[in-house]
Amino acid sequence: MASTVIGAGITIEGEISTDEDVVIHGTVRGKLTAREGVSVEEGATVEADISGGATKVAGAVTGNIHSSDRVDLQAGARVIGNVKATRLTIADGAQFKGNVDMDV
Amino acid sequence: MADVTVIGRGAHVTGRVEGAVDLEIHGRVDGDVAIEGEVTISAQGLVGANVSARRLVVQGAVRGDLSGEEAVRLEEGARVVGDVKAPRVAIAPGALIKGFVQTGDAGAAPRARAHSAARAVPKAPARELHTASADKSTRAATLAGMAPKRPPAPVVPALKKGAKGALKRKAG
Repeated sequence: MASTVIGAGITIEGEISTDEDVVIHGTVRGKLTAREGVSVEEGATVEADISGGATKVAGAVTGNIHSSDRVDLQAGARVIGNVKATRLTIADGAQFKGNVDMDV
Repeated sequence: MADVTVIGRGAHVTGRVEGAVDLEIHGRVDGDVAIEGEVTISAQGLVGANVSARRLVVQGAVRGDLSGEEAVRLEEGARVVGDVKAPRVAIAPGALIKGFVQTGDAGAAPRARAHSAARAVPKAPARELHTASADKSTRAATLAGMAPKRPPAPVVPALKKGAKGALKRKAG
């Protein structure tokens, strides 16, 4: 169970920073910083730069994703922005437009 | 599950939080919170802004105004610096508050500091107040609207007959 959950129907405009997990079902605009995993669920809208650990996207993200671990774009995900991560997977059916920066 | 929002213990939100679902705050929020549901600020929760919700339960610390469309409940351990306004306000023993409290229908009305209403203030909740905080709240109410318009004229002791001369003689 994640420690921070932004439910559907909630809008946060501003900055979220946490040293724990974040699960987003709602809307976040601004900036999101987590030390642990970030999960953008189906139906969620994130218009923010995300930096965190393992990041899973099934919703819409407009902004750069900077992960210290892996980034998984699942089917149905819609991401516009650059991704910097150690590993990246893009599932069949995910939409993505942006630069990818991985340690090669 | 999706319609409960939790701001975790280690989370810090800077900015506005709004929506139509319930919200639990275990972490820190610096920014206005406007929720059309129930907001719970837990014992570890820390809010540095105004909070408005349908129902509001406070166990933690708030620096800002609280307004409830239905009710505001300050539970034991709650620390509030700011005004509280709701149709029903409950303040449990052990809750501390410094600010103006207004119960009744006006709770749903937009924020307007009614100075004249200050006289009618804490009826029922005041009885439950912690003694220390009761002092504070009465003082706050006094500051808010009950203070006399001008201070009484200073009392000048009348000099006794011949005292002026005595003073002169002493000086000389």
